[in-house]
Amino acid sequence: MGTLTIAPFASLVGSKSMDFALKLAKTAADKGHKVNIWLTSNGVMIVKANQKHLKDYSHAEKYVKELLEKGVEVCVCEACALARGIHKNEAIEGIKWDAMHWYLAKIYNSDRVIHMGGE
Amino acid sequence: MKLGVFVNEFKTVVETVDRLTAEKLGLIFIQNGVFHATIKENGKSSPLLDKTANFYVLAEDLATRGLTDADVDNRVKVVNYGDVVDLIFNDYEKIVWL
Repeated sequence: MGTLTIAPFASLVGSKSMDFALKLAKTAADKGHKVNIWLTSNGVMIVKANQKHLKDYSHAEKYVKELLEKGVEVCVCEACALARGIHKNEAIEGIKWDAMHWYLAKIYNSDRVIHMGGE
Repeated sequence: MKLGVFVNEFKTVVETVDRLTAEKLGLIFIQNGVFHATIKENGKSSPLLDKTANFYVLAEDLATRGLTDADVDNRVKVVNYGDVVDLIFNDYEKIVWL
């Protein structure tokens, strides 16, 4: 088994890349791989708790919680989040808050890295 | 180097792919990139399919666009998320996101 780090920059719905990132992370974790997710840029928006799951509309909270339960490490760029008015006390529990060095350390220790551009 | 490239848009990315040199190249069509595997324009398929590469298309993104395996060019292999994870870990060393 290996270690995969994924960094989605895109927001939810914007480009469907976030949907893909979350599904790929789940599949890799289910196959026994270690998975890290670095949320940055507009991708930080999915850390907000209390998202309403609307039918036929991209949704992240449920998937993020599921991934956390599977042992996937999810970390949000604190600077990007604060810049968008997103604070720790309104975020999904279990998500790490850190800075770029977290991501760089994960990249260094990963077998595969997928750096997904933004919108 | 064995290079796996995620193509997630339909706009031509041929020039970018042209600049990628790899011992083994894999183009993985996802999201709107799946149209590279299905659409013919003026009777011609996507120029990406003329590359020397292995081609894959994500079944789930075909389905959400109302496409089926029958629509897929025979040079392209239909894969699911599990296959994509295996491709990433077993077939390609570096992964690029276009």
